[in-house]
Amino acid sequence: MSSVRIRVNDVSRELDVADHETLLAVLRDRLGLTGSKESCGRGECGACTVHLAAAGDRTRPVYSCLTLAAACDGASVTTIEGLGAGTLHPLQEAFVAQDAVQCGFCTPGQIMAAAALLADNPVPDEPAIRAALSGNLCRCGTYPRIVLAVRDAAQRMKAARG
Amino acid sequence: MADKRFVSTTVEVEGREETRIVELPAFAPDPWDEDARLDVVGQCVPRMDATEKVTGRAVYSADVARVGMLHATIVRSTVAAGSVTEIDVSQALALPSVRGVLLRADVEGIKYDGGQLFDPNIRYAGQPLAAVCAESREVAERAAALVVTRVERAPHAATIRAALAKDAPKVRPKGNTGRNHPAIAERGDVDAAIETADVVVRREYRTPVQLHSCMEPHGAVAEWIGDHVTVWESTQGVFNSRADLARAFGLAHAQVRVIKDYMGGGFGAKNGASVAACIAVALAKKTGAPVRCVFDRAAEQFDTGNRSATVQRVTLAAKKDGTLAAIALEAEVMMGVGGWFAAPGKIYHEMYACPNVRTSETAVYTHTGAMASFRAPGHVEGAFGLECAMDALARELGMDPLALRRKNYAGRDQEKNRPYSDKRLDRCYDEGSKRFQWRARGRPGRGQAAAQDGRFRRGQGMSSLCWGAGGGPPAYATVRINADGTVDVLAGTQDLGTGARTVLAQIAAEALGAGIAHVRTVLGDTERLPYAGNSWGSMTTASVGPAVRMAAEDARTKLLDAASAIMGVPAKHLDARNSVVTSRQRGAAGRELSFAAIGEELGNVMIIGQGSRGPNPDRTAIFTFGAHFAEVEVDTETGRVRVLRLVAAHDSGRIINPRLAESQLEGGILQGIGYALFEERVVDESLGLPLNPTLHDYKVPTLADLPAIESFFVPGADTTANHTGAKGLAEPPNIGVAPAIANAVCDAIGVEVTEIPLTPWRVLAALEKASRSAR
Repeated sequence: MSSVRIRVNDVSRELDVADHETLLAVLRDRLGLTGSKESCGRGECGACTVHLAAAGDRTRPVYSCLTLAAACDGASVTTIEGLGAGTLHPLQEAFVAQDAVQCGFCTPGQIMAAAALLADNPVPDEPAIRAALSGNLCRCGTYPRIVLAVRDAAQRMKAARG
Repeated sequence: MADKRFVSTTVEVEGREETRIVELPAFAPDPWDEDARLDVVGQCVPRMDATEKVTGRAVYSADVARVGMLHATIVRSTVAAGSVTEIDVSQALALPSVRGVLLRADVEGIKYDGGQLFDPNIRYAGQPLAAVCAESREVAERAAALVVTRVERAPHAATIRAALAKDAPKVRPKGNTGRNHPAIAERGDVDAAIETADVVVRREYRTPVQLHSCMEPHGAVAEWIGDHVTVWESTQGVFNSRADLARAFGLAHAQVRVIKDYMGGGFGAKNGASVAACIAVALAKKTGAPVRCVFDRAAEQFDTGNRSATVQRVTLAAKKDGTLAAIALEAEVMMGVGGWFAAPGKIYHEMYACPNVRTSETAVYTHTGAMASFRAPGHVEGAFGLECAMDALARELGMDPLALRRKNYAGRDQEKNRPYSDKRLDRCYDEGSKRFQWRARGRPGRGQAAAQDGRFRRGQGMSSLCWGAGGGPPAYATVRINADGTVDVLAGTQDLGTGARTVLAQIAAEALGAGIAHVRTVLGDTERLPYAGNSWGSMTTASVGPAVRMAAEDARTKLLDAASAIMGVPAKHLDARNSVVTSRQRGAAGRELSFAAIGEELGNVMIIGQGSRGPNPDRTAIFTFGAHFAEVEVDTETGRVRVLRLVAAHDSGRIINPRLAESQLEGGILQGIGYALFEERVVDESLGLPLNPTLHDYKVPTLADLPAIESFFVPGADTTANHTGAKGLAEPPNIGVAPAIANAVCDAIGVEVTEIPLTPWRVLAALEKASRSAR
């Protein structure tokens, strides 16, 4: 057991976590943030993708199923529930507008991976989108619409920046 | 004598025809024919639950948490065959916070596709043997690892070849092939036709075991209150799941409530109560606490069903002009330890006009996980053999593959000699080939291969497909107008990600004259909703849609009667559109009253409409059709196949929501690409263990594999099928992809690759074999 302080969606949390406990388990089972999904539990599908900024480090997308909670002391975590901060994030709007959703199980992970891409590369071309999201599986096969949605979101964000 | 109230009708479910007795609906709305002026149906209404899904608020089964809930983990066999001699749970039970175990003695009579739950007779690797539950999943997993299982191993047969070998170990007491198999179906005289034909081609094709690989694993949460149990399950059929659980636990249907709100994909693997649900219910009963049981990924891959592998020996015989004289198939179909027989032979009887057709099919049982329905079961496998053989025949005849298919166009249902309700495959050929810019080819050697000698070679291929997706009864719906004029559509169906929530609301809005923004669909709850069947066989829209329409028409009649009383205008002069009732009566023309205003007037006097799905037309074949066109590039040095573009033209009658429907086409095509190029469960023959039960080793398509897809529907409305004119569409796009791609690969490299997936090594082996025989 170790005591960690993690900021999750802008709320500071102090938690005693077991050494083996994953960030995904903490988010889902302890904090009730079930938007991050477990599909493979071993970093193969991307459904559990969240944003993690370790203390003093930049924000990056991580597979929360492969991230140990004990290693997150001092980190900031953003999940799908915290992405829009009260309103829909442009990516969420674009996923709705482009219907980049079927069953929706992979969707939170897709959006978090795409948000990380757009933070790094605000106007990605299609190869960049394909590369950034190729670690997020969608068995329903909504890929064509996911590409459209990411492009749409990039435009929305560009317009908002003016 | 009064007309009969209950009549017999036939319904095709997953390629099997079933006869049902059904109550005739009290009235039948006029069909929405092709030219009907519709406001909401046919529009790209945004998916109604998209916001819940993009915000992470959609609650799937594994997201359900109940107070005091325990977590179950399953102990599984690590050998393919043998028997359990002892299970020692003492160490597991000694672990703090372990709350219970479930053994064979606790689950007498609980059956699933693999047989009796926790059967000590082991028939496949991964077979559930026991379950443990604890206060956390981590502890449950540790406890499961501490269960000591002693097993006496027995020889196994994990492949078709091994199971058919002389003295093969028996998978079932009665042997390794289906009862009365080979199942032979013949029309005409195939042997005589082959004898006298101008051209005969013979080929052997092989297709792999494909895994559903749903993103949401099988899982359930069960909670008992008194003598009734509530189960949140990831299922394609809440009522089927309820019936299974009631039977397994000796309960009345009224004691079991199954809820499915959001669902993370099923594709055929979730058609009844799962093992997870049975275990959750049993452990919840035993421990007195709610229990969650969710499969881990490995179990999801090897123990939730799969598409049967097949071996298909195909003979096609034709006249010089391409007219088919005979079609013959001999097939072996790998069942695993159970499931049902999804016949690859059916499409051989259905697809083309041909007087002489014979299929001889053998179900082969193996010591591997049971098969299950998987998106167009049987047809996906059969289409690969039939459609590749059609291309082989076209080459032999020196005929264009598309011209050969047109030449053998079936104007009637060949298998049962009855008319089609509607068939627009010719339109699919026309429009698909036009959009694809199909280049007709003739004499052998005139394919793409002859013109190319570089490392990267391009080729084009096509395929035809058909699938019975007419839906049918029983299905019921209630439409309720609330006091504020908003509308609830209640139907006990489920939305697997297909868009049923949205599509049913559109149908109700259209029929009622309500604005779509005021309509919502409530589904997935056996306790609160009228019956609808499983969401399988591409049936939901064509089964539940007409029931919803009828319920909405019924509500509309009552609403207009109420408006008539309020407005003083006869109901026959009233019209409803966009949630407003308008008068057409001379003198009162243009007077309006909104649904909300009517509701306010009525208060809680509720308008409720009831609807049900009527019978299907007698002696009529209700089918959907399509044509696929693929262009590929083959790297002849590495053997890698890239799909460059795919054009898919489909005929599914009226399309209620084109955007949602086209998304399903794209998804089906992507699963087809996986089947053609990557997906194959590999079992170690000597150990009988699955070697790739992960999403890393079992390759499903990723965004990086996405080709340019152009998929669309030809316009139509099949009002013979049902009064909405809509047919199913989820499964058809999965059928034509693999043969179109394989035919394109052959066009590119001049060599047939007869086994899928078309992995680099298979392509290289085929090239090598061809170059050896050329030397």
